[in-house]
Amino acid sequence: MTDITKEDGVIQPSDEDLQRLEKALDFSNTMKTFNLSKNNLKVKTQNLLSYSTAGGSFSVDQSLISFMNFVVSSGKTEISLLDKNDIPIRIEDTEKFLEEVSSLYFEVVNDYYNEYQQLRSSRKIEKVLEI
Amino acid sequence: MSKGIIIFAQNNEYVNYAETACACAGFARKNLSLFDEICLITNTETFEQNETLINEYFDRIIVTDSFQPTNTRLFKDTADKTEYASFKNMSRSEVYELSPYDETLVIDGDYFIMNNVLDQVWDSDNDVMINYKYRDVSGRHKEHIEYIDNFSIPMYWATVVYFKKSDYAENLFTLVSHIKHNYKYYYYLYNCSGNLYRNDFAFSMALHILNGSVAFDVPALPFTYLNNSFDIDDIFRVNSHNDIIMYCADAERITEHILSRFTNTDLHIMNKKAIARFIDDFLLHGEKVNE
Repeated sequence: MTDITKEDGVIQPSDEDLQRLEKALDFSNTMKTFNLSKNNLKVKTQNLLSYSTAGGSFSVDQSLISFMNFVVSSGKTEISLLDKNDIPIRIEDTEKFLEEVSSLYFEVVNDYYNEYQQLRSSRKIEKVLEI
Repeated sequence: MSKGIIIFAQNNEYVNYAETACACAGFARKNLSLFDEICLITNTETFEQNETLINEYFDRIIVTDSFQPTNTRLFKDTADKTEYASFKNMSRSEVYELSPYDETLVIDGDYFIMNNVLDQVWDSDNDVMINYKYRDVSGRHKEHIEYIDNFSIPMYWATVVYFKKSDYAENLFTLVSHIKHNYKYYYYLYNCSGNLYRNDFAFSMALHILNGSVAFDVPALPFTYLNNSFDIDDIFRVNSHNDIIMYCADAERITEHILSRFTNTDLHIMNKKAIARFIDDFLLHGEKVNE
């Protein structure tokens, strides 16, 4: 900011400042694209983290897995569980349920991780989109 | 229990809906596996214009020429191009009677299934499943819920609806049909916005009435959000049966677009002209009957 001059009361930025500003605005375009892609990945992940069994649908997340882990550790083999629509669903094999929701979670979140890393590591949208 | 996917298509002067319905059927067949049939409900004119193509993508075709009152809609092809055309969307209420299946998944003719999450609808305990939470792929709409009006009820999206033959579903479709035939009354009663008859509105009102006209929750489909691309967005490229790159209209300047890639996630693509521009790619990447 040392090169700023004042002419007729108007602050004139230096060429260097203008270049910096242009770079920042360019970067904001990159961030806009990055944020949109990140949000779309997040929504995709939320949609894929769905598991249905015994007539119910469950949103798979860490709390469901933790709760099911507690259920299985407590030796309960059969329970009633509220699904994403708050409808009670009978789970007849808790161990199998835990195994299936856990593996779905790991698979989907791992894909999210890989795609997010690809997005993060590349500043050029052409690379991410392979165009 | 028979399980079928149903798509509606009735051509107008603006869009060949039969072609887009075939593209959607091809994507559904490629990405889902637990259904028995994919069925098209159409009218005689549309069927006769596209018979060969329709037979390639659908297991069953139901032709019905029910009366369609005038319904005019503004179609957009990005923010630059707009055109008014007739909109024949009033057969949806008849699907309960027309569906030959015990369990039916109705999808719009512009809803592209790109993963297998909707395989989870079958054998559900719920008689009807429909979503009100949605996501705008461009991030323009920050809220995930739309209302019929700011002072009215939440809007359920009739884009994807699951139902099984049951009292609840039968009564729901009876009410949708009643609302359709008395739309002006319900339009004012529910403080609707816009002049267009919308299935989304009719379903939302019917669900509200059916649930005692109080705040209610209808079971949602297995996915959390309906993934909507609006008609001001465009398609950049169709890579495969589960990979599409979109031009998403910039939230600040809708005439400018940001590229974003959608893999392994369903997409409701409302820009019909964009689908038409890429129809060969959509048809190529989808799966035909007995393929």
